[in-house]
Amino acid sequence: MFAGPAIWRDFIIEKTGRKMTMFKRRNLALLATVALLIAACGGGDAATTTAGDVTETTAAAPTTTGAAGAATTSPPGDDEEIIVGVSWNNYNEERWAKSDEPNIVAALEEAGATYISADAGSSAEQQLADVENLMAQGADVLIILAQDGEAILPAVASALEQGVPVIAYDRLIENPGALYITFDNVGVGRLQAEVIYELVPEGNYAIIKGNQADANADFLREGYTQVIGDAESSGAINVACETYTDNWDPAIAQTNMEQCLTQENNAIDAVLSENDGMAGGVVAALEAQGLAGTVPVSGQDGDLAALNRVALGTQSVSVWKDARELGRAAGEAAIQLAQGAAIEDVAGVVQFDSPGGNSMTSILLTPIAITQDNLDVVVDAEWITVDELCQGVTAGAVAVCP
Amino acid sequence: MTDVVVSSPEQATTPPKRSVGSVLGALEIDTRLLGMIAALIVIWIGFHILSGGTFLSARNLWNLSVQTAAVAIMATGMVLIIVSRNIDLSVGSVLATLGMAMGLLQAEILPGMIGFDHWATWIITLVAGLILGALIGGFQGFIISYVGVPSFIVTLGGLLVWRGVAWALASGRTIAPMDSNFQLLGGGSRGRIGGPASWAVGVFACLGIIFFLLNGRRQRRKFGFRLRPVWAEVTLAVVGSLFVLGAVAVINSYPMPQALAEQYAAERGIAVPPGGIALGIANPVLIAIGVALVMTVIATQRRFGRYVFAIGGNPEAAELGGIKTRWTVLKTYVLMGVLVAIGAAVQTARLNAATSGLGTLTELYVIAAAVIGGTSLAGGIGTISGAVLGALVMQSLQSGMVLMGVDAPLQDIVVGVVLVIAVGIDTFYRRRVSR
Repeated sequence: MFAGPAIWRDFIIEKTGRKMTMFKRRNLALLATVALLIAACGGGDAATTTAGDVTETTAAAPTTTGAAGAATTSPPGDDEEIIVGVSWNNYNEERWAKSDEPNIVAALEEAGATYISADAGSSAEQQLADVENLMAQGADVLIILAQDGEAILPAVASALEQGVPVIAYDRLIENPGALYITFDNVGVGRLQAEVIYELVPEGNYAIIKGNQADANADFLREGYTQVIGDAESSGAINVACETYTDNWDPAIAQTNMEQCLTQENNAIDAVLSENDGMAGGVVAALEAQGLAGTVPVSGQDGDLAALNRVALGTQSVSVWKDARELGRAAGEAAIQLAQGAAIEDVAGVVQFDSPGGNSMTSILLTPIAITQDNLDVVVDAEWITVDELCQGVTAGAVAVCP
Repeated sequence: MTDVVVSSPEQATTPPKRSVGSVLGALEIDTRLLGMIAALIVIWIGFHILSGGTFLSARNLWNLSVQTAAVAIMATGMVLIIVSRNIDLSVGSVLATLGMAMGLLQAEILPGMIGFDHWATWIITLVAGLILGALIGGFQGFIISYVGVPSFIVTLGGLLVWRGVAWALASGRTIAPMDSNFQLLGGGSRGRIGGPASWAVGVFACLGIIFFLLNGRRQRRKFGFRLRPVWAEVTLAVVGSLFVLGAVAVINSYPMPQALAEQYAAERGIAVPPGGIALGIANPVLIAIGVALVMTVIATQRRFGRYVFAIGGNPEAAELGGIKTRWTVLKTYVLMGVLVAIGAAVQTARLNAATSGLGTLTELYVIAAAVIGGTSLAGGIGTISGAVLGALVMQSLQSGMVLMGVDAPLQDIVVGVVLVIAVGIDTFYRRRVSR
């Protein structure tokens, strides 16, 4: 009602896009049942409401299924068809439906594999049950986006024992038997710091970190240290403020940035913000001091609002992780694993030392740093429209904005 | 201070000897309010020393006033809800839904209809937000008062529902930027009224104080109530006016940041004066003060407000006394919805973005502000000014700890402990007075 038609259209397409697949599956099941009933009725000749009839219908079922199965050209069997089970932690988040799933499905379809999925709705317990259900449905490979990397461990161990390979999708699962596919988060931090360091090689830095309980916040900081660590110890760069931000909340980031500017009397030359949402809060705080656009700010995720800020020049960089690439890589790896490859033999793997002390076999994809110079990348990828990107931008100020 | 009992206004007669208690009695100042102000001063001075002299700078106090505004606005409504023996846990989620609705309206719907950055955009957006807020509040209030589902359950449901709605409205996207006029509601670089206007507001407030004191005296005489001694009236007027003018002086001593001042001067073709250009009171603070005044009048001078307190004091007696208790409770929720809409406008304008995570845990801060400010969860007791002070105490603690570089988890621990201690002292004090 309050959202524009365009938004609802996207929303409906996204939602029904998934529902369609489920719907088709249900339809098939329904068709099969109807076929059975007709067959049973045809055989029983007279349809009555006695209990005997019901039993007869059920009894007739296996035979009919068998006949129908035999009639198809390629009989289903575990040896022939590959089934890949995907366990989502929370399908409600925009990105999984929009970017990840279609690309996993595309990669699987190319190889003729079947895609089945389950959504745990942000519940770690539900996800344990989902994994069992997917295996019961005959999944040959599991792709798991873990709600909780610790709680999922028993299910992963049990799957591996039964010979079902597991791919830890985007989030770490501390079991060395699983294949970990993600973007290089330390690399994201490195990319952010490289862009900012090039702009401001010396001066006062503010570092706005994410949620303290989230390992990614520290991975990103590690990436920063790799780039500006030497300058920090030589004194060329002084980290004036460094705070964690509860729940990566933009409003808290804004307050923290305001306090930092107050404390330092506006003597801040650059801000390393770990994601785009918080960068929004940081830019609002800078704006209030007339500093937006003069103090470089980093971010990541390729949020539409953040890319608009990059075009406007109030944010210097948004590191963009092309989720489509992640989906495709996972789909392709799943096929290789299903065909019997060991995780070490999957194309493109490296060893990654996890915080839990495991050496994880991993595929680490490289993210892209989006700055004013390469905004065309996100437009070409149809991640953002030129209108959204260029809202409020002076015509011709940036190459992509007409 | 053995004569605390004497300080209750009813018993204070013109004393021969002026002890502290009787002076306060004559001034008719709530000693609990005074206690809160004392606590606030202790917190401020403590942080001032610990932060190496930053906390009480004009700039930080200006920040503090802006950061407190949204929670203070909503806490005034929460007072009435808690006084009527109800609760609203859905405030933070409704804030997100309203913020998102207003964000979408101004950033994606209206530009297509009347053009990008049209002058009327902010008015349409704000009015739509207020109406939607009233509807959401009224809907929840209806279920509470007419269907009879406990307010805790209804608003607990609301906490989940409206957070989900906020997400669904834009599939979790962040909506930005906001309309340039709408942004003024949140403060920021242009959202303040400037030095001269701030002085005007200050002088106007002083005149208001004097008017209210004179008017109150006339009313009391008319109905034959006991009058304050003249010295007490004069003291109140002088102290009140000095406080207002002092606050304006502090706010105005915070000059526009260099970069902004140059920009501002260049736009008007003037040179930057040596003392800088004063920013003045921020719009959200002005809104919060206005809301607090209106809410004080509603709570203490209007029939509706008296009914709410009567219901909180004794619901059965209120019902038997002919008060439409259900309708009154429903109205408190409508009012809360409207205040949340104002809060949402301030927050989204300030952040210059609408996010579905906006206002997470805000309901707890709003309730805590009301409770620290002396609102009793048992109902029937509470003041608007107390709630505003409570919001200021909470925000002072948080901002102060950020200035000192205290980690986020430790901040939560301190705020939680202070909440319990504050209410503990209050309960202890009340028991002592009533004995």
